[in-house]
Amino acid sequence: MLDILRELIFTSGFVSLTGGNIVMWVISFVLLYLAIKKQYEPLLLLPIAFGILVVNLPLTFLMDPEHGLLWFFYHYGIELDIIPPLIFLGLGAMIDFGPLISNPKMLLLGAGAQAGLYVTFFAAVLFGFDLQEAGSIAIIGGADGPTTIYLTSKLAPHLLGATAVSAYAYMALVPIIQPPIMKLLTTDAERKIVMTKLRPVSKLQKICFPIITAMTIMLIVPPAAPLISMLMLGNLFKESGVVERLTNAASNELMNIVTIFLGLSIGATMTAATFLSPKVLFIFFLGLFAFAVSTAAGLIMAKTMNLFLKDKINPLIGAAGVSAVPMAARCVHKVGSEANRRNYLLMFAMGPNVAGVIGTVVAAAILLKNLG
Amino acid sequence: METDWSKVLEVFGSGIIGVFMVMFLLQILTQLSTRVIDFVENMGKGNAVVSAPKEAVAKEKA
Repeated sequence: MLDILRELIFTSGFVSLTGGNIVMWVISFVLLYLAIKKQYEPLLLLPIAFGILVVNLPLTFLMDPEHGLLWFFYHYGIELDIIPPLIFLGLGAMIDFGPLISNPKMLLLGAGAQAGLYVTFFAAVLFGFDLQEAGSIAIIGGADGPTTIYLTSKLAPHLLGATAVSAYAYMALVPIIQPPIMKLLTTDAERKIVMTKLRPVSKLQKICFPIITAMTIMLIVPPAAPLISMLMLGNLFKESGVVERLTNAASNELMNIVTIFLGLSIGATMTAATFLSPKVLFIFFLGLFAFAVSTAAGLIMAKTMNLFLKDKINPLIGAAGVSAVPMAARCVHKVGSEANRRNYLLMFAMGPNVAGVIGTVVAAAILLKNLG
Repeated sequence: METDWSKVLEVFGSGIIGVFMVMFLLQILTQLSTRVIDFVENMGKGNAVVSAPKEAVAKEKA
């Protein structure tokens, strides 16, 4: 009886438990709390947090190459680039490019925000990260989870957990991070600017946009193909109006299924051995820096455009050039309406917001082309 | 490991210029395509307006 008990104890996970495992449990519990209680990006943080918890239970071998269940999810889903493009397919089926087609100049705001990303790349190199790691950290500034995961899995897979959690955490914190930067870089008069009405966009224009965009971007930066092709296919499903079942499948069932696998796979990469290092703390700091600089770059781009435009734009919408859809646009609307109650900026901010999604993919593809 | 600063500057410069170039080109193409589509659709509407009275006359004759 005693032997059985002794064997049970010595073959259990308790014997192999390390201090690092316990720290990771605490991190997992914090993320679970944020997801459940605070509802910060719960769709992703919940599976990520649970992934962290189970992968840090000793002797479960869930991330054992060729054997572990979560390793298979990670290997086939992330390493083989299946999940991020599928997320983009669903995203495309949900996005309305109408405000962007109505005012294509907003594409420049999507580009402006990406300047912050390259500033962060420079900063990360100064902090001692190698070029591939710096590229993976910089893309956090784009505030686009799937693109961050896609690029990091190619350039610096060992940082995947940190960059992904950082990207999703800052996306959830948009309403806290962005407003002070917006208010700092704009005057009260600028925030009060009321924009002219958007012109209507026809169905044919909405159908042509994803085709033209996919062709243009893929011809110029081929590494963008997996993400941009899926994004535009999803949008074509939606705008064509003839494949309602596929649109619904892409934006609901498929999106939900891949989100589960994405969250679990990311969480599973965050073992104590890979996550608990000073580098990870720096990644969170640089991620915040990237996000703040990208927001500022978008605002400055909008102010610069105003120097040349006859119909002035409200510079706040430049902050939506980071691609956290639709949180950044909502945040712009809120700050704008605080300055002027009659100001309804949501639809205007959606233009740069969806342009930011395209811009982040292009920026990631250029980083991949140069560093991959 | 030594940092290759020339590579850093290359990534920095080509990244910023590259993103702006692609987005600017996309802006031009979007503007161009929407104008062409607007023109074609307005022309279609114009034809419909012109042909409408003819159809009405034909109906009256019938």
